[in-house]
This record gives sequence, structure tokens and C-alpha cells, in this order.
Amino acid sequence: MGIFADMNTFREYLELFMLFFRIGAVTFGGGLAMLPVLQRELVSRRRWLTDAQMIDYFAIGQATPGIIAVNVATFVGYNRKGLRGAIVTTAGIVTPSIIVITLLAMFLNNFADIVWVQRALRGINVVVAVLLISAVWNIGKKTVIDWITFAIAGASFASMFFCNVSGVIIVFASMLAGLALKYRKGGKS
Amino acid sequence: MSLLALFGIFFYVGTFTIGGGLVAISLMQQEIVSRGLISPERFFNMVAISESTPGPIGVNMATYIGYEMYGVWGGIITTIGTVLPSLIVIVLIAKYFSRFQEREGVKAAFYGLRAATTGMIAVAGANVIQVAVLTLPSFQKSGSWTDICSWPALVLFALTFAVYQKLQWHPVLFIAAGAVFGVFFM
Repeated sequence: MGIFADMNTFREYLELFMLFFRIGAVTFGGGLAMLPVLQRELVSRRRWLTDAQMIDYFAIGQATPGIIAVNVATFVGYNRKGLRGAIVTTAGIVTPSIIVITLLAMFLNNFADIVWVQRALRGINVVVAVLLISAVWNIGKKTVIDWITFAIAGASFASMFFCNVSGVIIVFASMLAGLALKYRKGGKS
Repeated sequence: MSLLALFGIFFYVGTFTIGGGLVAISLMQQEIVSRGLISPERFFNMVAISESTPGPIGVNMATYIGYEMYGVWGGIITTIGTVLPSLIVIVLIAKYFSRFQEREGVKAAFYGLRAATTGMIAVAGANVIQVAVLTLPSFQKSGSWTDICSWPALVLFALTFAVYQKLQWHPVLFIAAGAVFGVFFM
């Protein structure tokens, strides 16, 4: 009995590890590029999260120390399987980097200068742009629900895109805005 | 510099990286290049490779610098150093978040925060479009409207967009197809 229970637990941890290993292996560019893959794997396929929860994780990941992709992985792991789950998912998301970078550093120091690598990356970037726009659209349908949230999302985009305002400032300003609007008349309605 | 001190530097980088990989890169530059541990040229070459390979760029850089200085174990130790602060902070937040998330104040704060995060993700999308589809520098140089975007990129963009709306394939398939298209046409 015991050994079968252990096998099942092991299999669950292995599934978590492999899931985030795959996500790490296909994330090019910044951590936000992994959003479409996470949405597919965690929200629509496994139903471990809702879209709103995923956005909460990204929001928290943006406002706390560490690399956003790693923060989201740790968060999901902890909620599935506690501290061990968090360690397993974090290990999963960084392992592809360790393997790929170590091999490249050993054998191919001019990897980024290879012409067909540059070409493939240009193609990948275009696809990532499409995937991100679709993800923003799907998420926006759930987070931009009235004219206030529309204004907050617009202000957040404009201040970051045009004025390079840091994400940390936007995170805290938007939380304050949410609080202020809720309690503006002193009542909790 | 000892491996332990290197671990300490990357733990520091992980702790003060708030808001994304580019913050991590500039902290690493301060700590590693300014101390003369790696030359600036080498550092930017490593950034280029970290951008061109799978995985979060901050993690890739940590592994790369660690490998460069201490071999395979160095790469593993610096990566652990970088992610350890996240692990500690996020586990603490995750532990208490479920307890607080139903409170009115937290709900109100997240009402604003979710919208703002959507805006920030849109910035990531706009930045990728700027780099991947538009060719603003060559447009500024020539002033000719035909130079405003890369035409093969625009074709790929429209194709991917059309197919992705119709067919709910896994995003990875589209990324792979984009790489193949890029090798042949871009």
C-alpha cells in the first residue's frame, strides 16, 4: 500500500516538474511570453486556476522580488503541493535554462551570431506577439469590466509604454486606486 | 571570488529584481562587470545568447555567468541563488494570500491591480510587435512608408493570427512553426 501511495505522490510531483520544465523550455524573451502557454496548460486544460487567479499571480509576481516567470511557477507549485510543490515547480522552470546555457557555453559561444538562429528568433518573436495579444484580449474581457478598470488598464499601459514607469510603481498605484475608489464615500456599500 | 560570495551576489540580485528580467540584467551588470569579473563585451555577448535561448532571461544569465566563472556547478549555484529569494517570498505570500483574499480591502486593491496588470501585459505585447514586426529605424532613415514594417513578419503575423483564432492548437506548435517560417523567409 505504502509504496503505491508513494508512487502516486512521486508521479504527481513528476507531472508538476515536467509541466514547468516544458514551460521553461518554450519561453523565449521575458517572463510574460509564457502567459499564453500557462493559460493553455493551467486554465483551459487542467482547470487548476481561473483566469482571474492567474492574473493575480502575475500581479504578485511583478510586485515581489525575483524573476516573474519563476515567481508564478513557485506560486502555482505551492498551491498544488505546498512547499515541496513550490520547490519542484521552481526547479522545473529553471532546469531547461541550466541545460541549454551550459551546453551552449561549452560548445557554441557564438550561438547568437548564427544567421539561421537569428532568423528563427525573428519568426518566434512574431508568433509570441500574436499569442500575447490574444492572451491580453482574453484576460481583458475578465479584468476590464467597467469604465474605471478600462481607465486603470489604459493608464497602466500608457505610463509604462510611453514614459517607462516602473512596474512596481504601477502595481502600488493601481492597488491604491482600487482601494480609494471603493471607499471614496466613506461607506463600504 | 569564492563560490559562496558568488552565490551571495546572485541572492542579492534575486532579492532586488522587482519587475522583470531587465532589472536583473542591470543589477548583474553592476555587480559582475563593475567588479571586473567579466568584461563588458563578454557580458553583452552573454545577454544576446540569453535572449536567444529558451527560458527566462534572468535565469539564463545567472546560469551563464556562474558557468563562466566556476563551471557546471557554478551555473547551478548562481541559478539557485537567483531564485531562492523568490521561493522564500512567494511561499510566504502564497501561505497567507488565501486567508486575506476574501477581505474587502484586498478585493478592492486587486480590482485595480488586475486591470493594471492587463495593461502591463499589453506593454509586453506592444514591445514585441515593435521589435518583431515594425522596422521603425529604417522607416525614419528612408521616410518611405514601405519601410515601416518587415513584410515577411507582417505576413506571418496575419497568418498566425487567423489560424490561432480558428484552431485552438497548443501555443508551442505556433512557436515552432514561427521558427521554421523565420529560417526560410525572414
